[in-house]
Formats: sequence, C-alpha cells, structure tokens
Amino acid sequence: MAELSPPINTRSQLAAVMRLRWLLFAHSLRTTRGKMELASRILVGIAFAIGGLGGGSALAFGAWYFVSHGKADYLALFLWPMFVFWQVFPVMATAFTNNPDSSDLLRFPLGYRSYFLVRLAYGSMDPATALCSMWLAGMLLGIGFASPTLLPWAALVLLAFALVNLLIMQMVFAWVERWLAQRRTREIMGVLFILLMLSFQLIGPVMEHFDKRSSPEVRRLVELLVPVQGVLPPGLAADAIAQLARARFMVGFSSFLLLCAFGTAIGYFLRLRLRAQYRGENLSEVAARATLRERSSFRMGWKLPGFPPSVAAVFEKEIRYLARSGPMLLTLIMPIFMLVIFRLGPMSRQGSFFARAPNMAFPAAAGYALLILTNLVYNNFGGDAAGIQFFYAAPVRFSQIVLAKNLTHAAILIVEVTFAWTAVAYLYGPPSLDIAAATLAALLFAAPLNFTVGNLLSIYSPKKLDFSTFGRQRASQTTVLVSLGVQVFIVGAGVGAFWLARSYANFWIAAFLMSALAAISLTAYRLVLKRIDRLAMEQRETLVAELCRA
Amino acid sequence: MDLASTISTQGLTRRFGELLAVDGIDLRVAPGQFFGFLGPNGAGKSTTIKMLTGLLAPSSGRIEILGLDLEKNPVKVKQQIGVVPEGMALFERLTGSEFLNFAGRMYGLDRETAAKRASELLDFMQLAEQPKKLVADYSHGMQKKLALAAAVIHGPKVLFLDEPFEGVDAIASGTLKSMLQRMITRGATIFLTSHVLEIVERLCSHVAIIHQGRLVAQGSLEELRAGVEAQAAVLSEDNVVSGSSSISGTSFSGTTAGPPISGEKLTLEQIFLRIVGGSRSAEQELSWLS
Repeated sequence: MAELSPPINTRSQLAAVMRLRWLLFAHSLRTTRGKMELASRILVGIAFAIGGLGGGSALAFGAWYFVSHGKADYLALFLWPMFVFWQVFPVMATAFTNNPDSSDLLRFPLGYRSYFLVRLAYGSMDPATALCSMWLAGMLLGIGFASPTLLPWAALVLLAFALVNLLIMQMVFAWVERWLAQRRTREIMGVLFILLMLSFQLIGPVMEHFDKRSSPEVRRLVELLVPVQGVLPPGLAADAIAQLARARFMVGFSSFLLLCAFGTAIGYFLRLRLRAQYRGENLSEVAARATLRERSSFRMGWKLPGFPPSVAAVFEKEIRYLARSGPMLLTLIMPIFMLVIFRLGPMSRQGSFFARAPNMAFPAAAGYALLILTNLVYNNFGGDAAGIQFFYAAPVRFSQIVLAKNLTHAAILIVEVTFAWTAVAYLYGPPSLDIAAATLAALLFAAPLNFTVGNLLSIYSPKKLDFSTFGRQRASQTTVLVSLGVQVFIVGAGVGAFWLARSYANFWIAAFLMSALAAISLTAYRLVLKRIDRLAMEQRETLVAELCRA
Repeated sequence: MDLASTISTQGLTRRFGELLAVDGIDLRVAPGQFFGFLGPNGAGKSTTIKMLTGLLAPSSGRIEILGLDLEKNPVKVKQQIGVVPEGMALFERLTGSEFLNFAGRMYGLDRETAAKRASELLDFMQLAEQPKKLVADYSHGMQKKLALAAAVIHGPKVLFLDEPFEGVDAIASGTLKSMLQRMITRGATIFLTSHVLEIVERLCSHVAIIHQGRLVAQGSLEELRAGVEAQAAVLSEDNVVSGSSSISGTSFSGTTAGPPISGEKLTLEQIFLRIVGGSRSAEQELSWLS
C-alpha cells in the first residue's frame, strides 16, 4: 500500500515556480542567440531605467510643485497618463514581455491561492509596472519634500493605486486570454486591437478640431469629464492626497476607501476569470462537425508570369496568409488611414512642415509605407511555424522561397505607395516629377536594403509568430535592435539627400544620389540572395527548432 | 555504397554537443520494402529520419537515396521522396485544398495536375467535406491525413514517415494503412518510425532497431526472430550473451535478456524488448507506487 501523499506546502510551490523562472532564464543563455537576446534586453532595460529615472525625477518636481502650492488635486494630471500607460503599454508592447503561460501550472496540485499569487507575481514583472513604480516613487518623493507629514498617507494611497493598476492589468489580460483562446475570437480581437491602436492616431486631429471650435464647447466637455475622472482610480488617488493636504480627513479617507473598493471589485472580476481557469475550461479549437457537405472545390493555383511555379506557389501562399490575418491585413489599410490623418491632422495645418514644404509629403508618406512592412520583412519565416520543415523537405531552393516572400512584400509596398501617392495628390496636388523620381529611387534603395538585412535576420534570428494574435508574442530583441539601426541609417541617408537637394532647389540631385545607393543596395540584395541557400542550410537546425516548437 | 539499395547510409553520425545522438549507422533499405525503424524514446529515430530527409545535417557519414548522394544532390533527391516529419510541416492558415495545391506545385507539378490530385486526395482522405476549413481548425488525425496526402501528391518513389499513426483514430488509421500498402504494391519504398509495434509488425516486411544511437538489429522480421532465438539459445547456456552476429544477411548486435523462449513464435514487441533490454520489472522498483 502506498504512503499518503505529503501535505501541499504553498510556500515550497511558490519557491518552485520562482526556481522554474530562474532556470528558464538561465537555460536560455546556453545558446549564442540567448546571450545576444540578454545583451539586447540589457540595452532595452537601460533605456527603460533612463525613462523611469527621468520620468520619476520630473514627476518628483511636479508633485513637489503642486503640493507645495496647494494644488494637490492636479496630481491627477500625472496619475491619469500613468494609469493609461500602465494598462495600454503591456497590451501594445507584448514584445517586451516573456511570461510563460501560468495556466501551464494547473496540471500540478497548486492551490487556488497560490495560482492567484503566481498570476499577480507574473504581472508585477511587467516593464510597465516597473516604470510606473519608479514614477510613483518619484511622485512620493516630491510629495514628501513638499509636505513630510503627508508622506505616510501619500505612500498608502499610491500603493493602493499601484495595486489597483496591477489588478486591472491582470484582469484585462485574463479576459483577453479567454477571448484569445480560440482562433476566430482571436482574429476578431486582433482586428479590434489594431483599430484601437489606429484610433489613437486620431487624437491629434480631434484635438485640432476642438482647437478650431469655440471654447464654450470645449469647456462644456471638460466640465462633463472632470467629475467623471474624479470617481475613477487616478482621480480618487489624487483626491485622497489633496483632501488630506487640506486637513479634510473624512473626505480624503472616503476617496481612499472608494479606491480600495475599486480594487476589490476588480479583484472580484479577476477572481471570477482565474477561478474558471483554475477549474479547467473547455476552449476547444475544433469547430463542430459540419452537417451539410460543402461544395468541393477544384481550383488551380496562381500563375506569376516570368517566375518559376514554386515562386508563384509561395507568393500565393503568402498572400493567402496575409489575407486571412486580420492584424496583418490592417497594415494594408494604413495608407487610407494616413489619408485621413493627412486631411484632418496637423500636417494639413497652415504653418506646419508639410504646409510649408508640401513637396516633402510624398517622400514622407512613402517612407511610412515602407516602415509598416518591417514587421513582415524582418521575420520572413515567423508565420510559417512547422511549415518551415516543408520548405526544407521540398525540392526547391531557398533563394526561390525567399524571393517569393520578398515579391509579396514588394507587391504590398507598391500598393501602399500608390495609396500614399493618392493621398498626397488629393491633399497637396500630385508630386512633381523630380520628387516622385527621387522618392522612387529612395524606395529602390531602402526596400532592397530592408529585404537584404531582413532575409539574413529571418534566418539567423527567427521567431515563431501567429499572424492571428497580438498577445504573448515577442519579436527577437536582436531583430528589433538591428532593424531599428537599419531604419535610422535609411532615414539618415534619405533626409541627407533630400536636404541637400532642397538646399540646391534641385531634387534630381536626390534622385541621382538615391539611385547610386539603390544600385549598391540591389547588388547587396542579389549577393545575399545567391548565398541564401547555403545560409539556410547552415541555419536549418535553428530555424526548425525555433519555428516548430509548440 | 550499395547500388541495389533505395536508402543506404554509411557511418551516419550526428552529435549535439557532447551527445552522440546517432553513432555511425549503416542502413540498407531495398527497393519496394516497407521498412520499420524502431527504437526506444531518445534512441535517435527522429534524428535519423531528419538526416535522411535533409532536415538535419549529419555530423559525418554519407546518405544515398535512390543512388544519389543527398548532400550533393539535395534537390534531385527531394523530388523523388515524400516526407511526413515529426511536426507534420503544415501551413496552418491555408485550407486543405490550398495546401495540397501548394505542395503539388512545390514538388514540380503543373497547376492543373496539382489541382486535380489535390481534389482526389482530399476525397480519398475524407477531408473534402469542409473545403473552406483552415488546417489550423483540423483535428490531429485530419492533420496527419493531410500531411500524408501532401507527402504523396507528387507520387514519390520513397516515403519517409515519422510516427504516422500517432494520435490517429482507427478509421483514419485504416485509410492510411490501405494507401501505404497500395503504394508498396506499386513499387514504392516506405520508411517509417512508430512506437506502435503491432502496426509495424503487420505492415513492415523489414525492420531496423536503433538503441542509444547505434543500429542494433536490421533485417526481415523472420531474420530478427531467428537472431533473437539463436542468441536466446546461447543465453540458456550462459545466462547472458553479449556480442554481435550476422544471421542470413541480418546484422544483429547487442544483448538479449529475458526468460528462455517457450517455443511460441516471438512477437515484434518481444523481439524489441529482448534487443533493447526493456524488461525491467516494475515489481522490483517504485515500491511506494500504489
């Protein structure tokens, strides 16, 4: 007869989870790629630390100023952006997170309390939390300098504010995870998410719009918003501190209690979700069996004149992948969106750069169109996942596969630049011939250069991606940094050439310079493409291991 | 190298750092054989099949498929083989029909032939009911069938299958088996790895067993059986026999362990366990397990 199982010790379980995370990190350093990732992360971490310390210092000064001048209510002006950043940044920049899926732990006899704590602990390691904690510490320092007696109370309120943020963030993620569990809902969420991101671009035009209107309308809106913000966490936290600074203890305490009530309510919704996860959910991906036999289709593949059938097949596959990827498809509507931004935004305003130099609008718009493509270009095989094995098993040269992928990117770029040209022509009139020639030459320089570096990074630093999701995906840090360097170089070269041409009032100079650079970049592209078969074969283990992992 | 072999390797070796995953194996698979490649977990089966199909570079050694050196003629070899690797190598955001069309064209079929065969294969594999369904939404068994369909769309002379029956239900399994047997009768050579020894015993004419990276047995089922029985006869005299022998064209090296043979015909599972020494008694260990 077996012995009874030993009692479960929550502390040792949490210690085991912490050790698991440490081991995952330590083992990731076994490979050169892992070490490079760490180096890149350290660089990004330094940037974050500078942002955190810089922001913290500025907020310390601001908080000191408001509290010492009896305007502690204005602390809400700091807490609101922080609140928005804390909630939006983790969703936007999942590129910086590397949290293992905590629901994987459910196979173990983990108590619900431990599971809840692990989830919160994972969230607290988010860069947004680290940054906002530094900013809050800065604010606290400023308040302490302005009014030392207020320090303990402010510390308590800001801690509660931090906890509420942490809970909201976790709640949002827990519910989003629920919707992301199935492919269809995941795609809908992806599209909604990108539309949300795009809508942020409209903030500028909306502000412009209100700027031009008479002030009573704006004032009415502000009057409407002030009481609303006052009953939400940032407003409540600011009010709790401000009321105590004015010795209105009861009112200040009420605001604090309301803030805590917010936290409790959010904690309840989070608990609801995590409890369901903890008990086990059925989130099957497989759709119900069709009752009716759908019409079987006999359909031939695409033909790409001038290219081998294998290139046409990969080109077709790439286009189909993009057409089925909500988030990726939305990149195609960016030029249309740019049209709206150009029409309503600050770029159309009198006195703005584009109003003074409308001939620069097309180069800028074309550059923007190219930038949109970088997430595709620098991780060519990311979306192929296990399909990469097919490429290796098929009797096709990798140079043909890569060429087909680059043709897809080029086709998208052409469509986007056409949209951009239309937008610029509509707003500022058609670009002059010399500007159009210089811009196209610049694209001929920038696109092959991006493709060249992108092809190499796609092979040396691949990252598995799911085109249908936006969460839990992390581009390789090496790729992010190198691609940033390439863009800085391209923009620098482009700006330099156009500046020179503008100062001589002759854009054919820019066209000539860019054509010369384009010749170099096209040569580099051809050279790399010739060697891509050998490189791909050398890197096949890295590619297969990274892209085929579950 | 053996000109009569469809698949032959010479000193095929693969190292992963310090680990010697495959240790100088010499395989011979004759044309038209249904060849089962067996071994315990981590023995080197998938590593070997990956090397044979060009998915992994060998550290040393040579591979010849259909008389062509794989390293020197990768494209020519790949044109004539079909592969269902461990991860199935599917493009999940295509429909089954689109994927088969794509596979056909990548293997050099013209557009019309690729489309025609894709349609026939979908019907044969009973995958045609929902043509608009994405591969990502297929069940595991459906994905296996689709992967196999893609591997055969160009009519390969050699088919490499890594665990083709894993996670496949009895109905789908029946469909796959009948298709594979039909290919064998038409002269194709099939090389498969599987943990399901009953299936291998029923389908395969020849078997090789890899253990700790080394090829410890190779030959027809009868030859393996004879080899084990011969060694067991020596075992009954000396209790344990270690060494290597060659019995009627069968290479056989290793240690056989287990009770003496009672006279009944050995199953492949018994042969396998005797060769790889997997007869550890659960009663002797894990006394705390209920």
